[in-house]
Amino acid sequence: MNKYRFNIPENDGYINIPLEIKWDFQGRDESIELYEEDVIKQIIGGPRDYEITRFSHDFHTNNTKTDITYEFNFFDNNPGTGSDILVATSTDWSSTYLNEGFTSSQIYYYENPFTKSFFKLDFYDSNDSTNQTLFFTIIIPTQQGGTETASISPLIPDVEIKRPVFKLDFVGDKEGFFIYWVRDKNTIDISTFYMSAKFFNARVGGFMRMMTTPQSNLPNKFLFDDRKYFYYKVVLDYDKYTYSIYDTTDVRVGTTSSIKWYEYVNQP
Amino acid sequence: MGNNKEIRIVLSTLRYKSAPELSSAIQVPLVQNVKELVEYDRSANVSLAQVFDDERQKSTVFRPTGKFSILFNNAYTGKTNYEPFENNLYYVDVKELAKQQCLSDPNSVWWKGFPQYNEFDFIRNDYNVPGYTIPPNNHLDFITKSASTYNWNHFLSYPYNNNYNKNMVCTNSDGVFTWKSGDGIPFNITNIIDSGNNIVSFKCPIKHGLNEGEYVKLSFSYLGDSYFEVYSLGDGTIGSDEYVFNIFNYGFTGNVFYNGQKGTFKRVIDINNPIDTTSEYYVKELKLLTNPEDAVLIKSGFEQNVFGKTKKYESSGFTPNKIERVSVKEGSQSYTLTFNKDIDLKPLRDNQKRPVTELFFNVIWKGYFGWTLNDGYKLKQGYEFNLPLVNNKPDSWWDKTNVKSSTNFSIGSYVKSSNNVGYRFNYVNSLKKDDVIDGDLCEWNNFDQTERTISVLYHKFVYNNNVFDIKENNTQNYNNMLGYYYQPNYKMTVRVFSDYIEDGGVNTGNLPDYSYYSTYSDSFIWRDIYSYGFIDQDGRGVNYPFLNGKHYPYRNYVFRIIPEGTNFISDNLIEDPTIDNCE
Repeated sequence: MNKYRFNIPENDGYINIPLEIKWDFQGRDESIELYEEDVIKQIIGGPRDYEITRFSHDFHTNNTKTDITYEFNFFDNNPGTGSDILVATSTDWSSTYLNEGFTSSQIYYYENPFTKSFFKLDFYDSNDSTNQTLFFTIIIPTQQGGTETASISPLIPDVEIKRPVFKLDFVGDKEGFFIYWVRDKNTIDISTFYMSAKFFNARVGGFMRMMTTPQSNLPNKFLFDDRKYFYYKVVLDYDKYTYSIYDTTDVRVGTTSSIKWYEYVNQP
Repeated sequence: MGNNKEIRIVLSTLRYKSAPELSSAIQVPLVQNVKELVEYDRSANVSLAQVFDDERQKSTVFRPTGKFSILFNNAYTGKTNYEPFENNLYYVDVKELAKQQCLSDPNSVWWKGFPQYNEFDFIRNDYNVPGYTIPPNNHLDFITKSASTYNWNHFLSYPYNNNYNKNMVCTNSDGVFTWKSGDGIPFNITNIIDSGNNIVSFKCPIKHGLNEGEYVKLSFSYLGDSYFEVYSLGDGTIGSDEYVFNIFNYGFTGNVFYNGQKGTFKRVIDINNPIDTTSEYYVKELKLLTNPEDAVLIKSGFEQNVFGKTKKYESSGFTPNKIERVSVKEGSQSYTLTFNKDIDLKPLRDNQKRPVTELFFNVIWKGYFGWTLNDGYKLKQGYEFNLPLVNNKPDSWWDKTNVKSSTNFSIGSYVKSSNNVGYRFNYVNSLKKDDVIDGDLCEWNNFDQTERTISVLYHKFVYNNNVFDIKENNTQNYNNMLGYYYQPNYKMTVRVFSDYIEDGGVNTGNLPDYSYYSTYSDSFIWRDIYSYGFIDQDGRGVNYPFLNGKHYPYRNYVFRIIPEGTNFISDNLIEDPTIDNCE
């Protein structure tokens, strides 16, 4: 409270009372409510969009084709007839389940050891195995794929059995063709993944990793840079909702040439 | 801010004679227009349900999904000598044709049958048929990405505008009705006597939507008056209430209400307030929100319709190219349709300038393989009343030369040759986002703020007789052949207006910007929009899943491809009453 002292003037006296008001509360409560909402949102979080969408393989360069071909090559390590990894050459890997120990009958008759086996493509955010996160996986069942001629009995004509070459597209074999990933980049902003492959063998109850080149092509079959030889790079295009796959030299693969995987064999 | 009012202080002893000396004090009035801030610790209860509901009510983004079950009857056999088509039919009369092929020049034999189901399916799977979709001498190179867009294109749209000038023609046993969409509903007059009363009966080819006691505004007048009260509905036959209304004949003279007189009427709810209560009639126009490539169409799991798949083995001895195969006449796969694009309804207004409460899935025939649409023939459109056959032939509305029934979709074409003969193949060019297409014929009334669908829009396509001739199916006129109908627009309700009408004066707070101002009552009227998740006692409302901050409306549809003249309403919508001795 200000104190005023009045001296009796001879004439009428006037005082000006300065009333300085620094506040304007109109709407302040509403502002506080908004602020309250904001604080609550910061504390408990708002809705995030985890919806996924479908990415298809991009058109081949200068072409209208969209198919993508994965070719899995197994090392022939059948007991007695197989090869020795120490002296192996690239011809010791080939795209046949027979190399993996399956019999023609198991494959032809879709026996459980065969049909329960599958290929698993893992998609990581990095090709550094010491610091990477697995974001999603694609399963390719053995029931898909191309065929090769084989004999299941000398008494009947040769038959066509499945082989691990998968030409995937919008029609026909398409399990594993599409990548389903988060559509809102504000939620997770990753559009480059590193793809590795494994084969889960139900016949033996184990799995094996696949490489991008035969070990025989490497100077040292068991000592190499795994970032180079275990991954392909997958790039998503959010404008077209497509993906493309590149090798370690950034050359696009899976178009005119198939994406080749080779079984990695441990050092004996 | 300050107090500019001058204050004059008079010494107490000078106030009046012998006034005592007193201490002075002044009261300073501080008038303010501000609220005091209540300062205290604020606390808020965080309820998960409340937060969820708040987010749900606030969100205006939608991700619609529809499941389509296709019902198709492959009805028309035809013949062709274009080799890629000829080698891929579902054959009929194979023994006779195989015999002809042996006895004469094989190239001169026109094989006969049905086009296979792949020509109509949502997703084609004939991507590897030699001589058709892959070389040699194939019809075209199959692009697998286009498997879901070769036959049909799928879009999402919203009601955008009203077209009051769309030409309408309906032909039935009462003759030919010609009018514009904004004119109202057509009728044909018959003067009858009912229980001794003279009645003027109005028979409409489409549902009139009237109630007894309401009025109609006719397209002509009697002694200067064109408003007449609806005395009764129907003519005594089952279902006629919806198509026939009557006015009492008080003794009309002259030649106004004569038998066979045709005209149009508009519904008037309140004769004292004809400005607000007279209905408008129009064709609802839809604006596309997506491009063809935004649609994601996939098989709906293993779901099939109850009719199954019709297929047969074509022996190599009974095919023109001597190659055995399995041909499919009809399929049964269901499909799920979603879009890569989210739909934000916030900036959109519907055809009545209200917030958008309904979206439409649009299925548009493309026919890229060229079996349909002969040269100069466009994809046609019409309404339910155009569908029935007239004298066992397609209504003249569908004639190739009738531009009123042609859609505004452009036509593309390409040329292929077979056995040194050139063939032109036509297809519908794909529409794109922001294109406007026609929808249903509708009625709107400002007084009750509701829209009524009077008649549903249909599209029609016919075979290209230059490459596939179905003349033997009683089609004598290549300009107006039998074809297939389908309904292109499928409604998805995303919000619901209330069943009650609100009204308020000009000073009413929070008036919706879409409210209608009635000059008669000097007030605004509108219907509220129910909040998401609220269902009233009549079952009105929507309760779609809400997650990811988006609404996920979902609905199942049956997509029928209807052969002309089959399995549909007859041209005589209302049976004539039986006149016998009892009456």
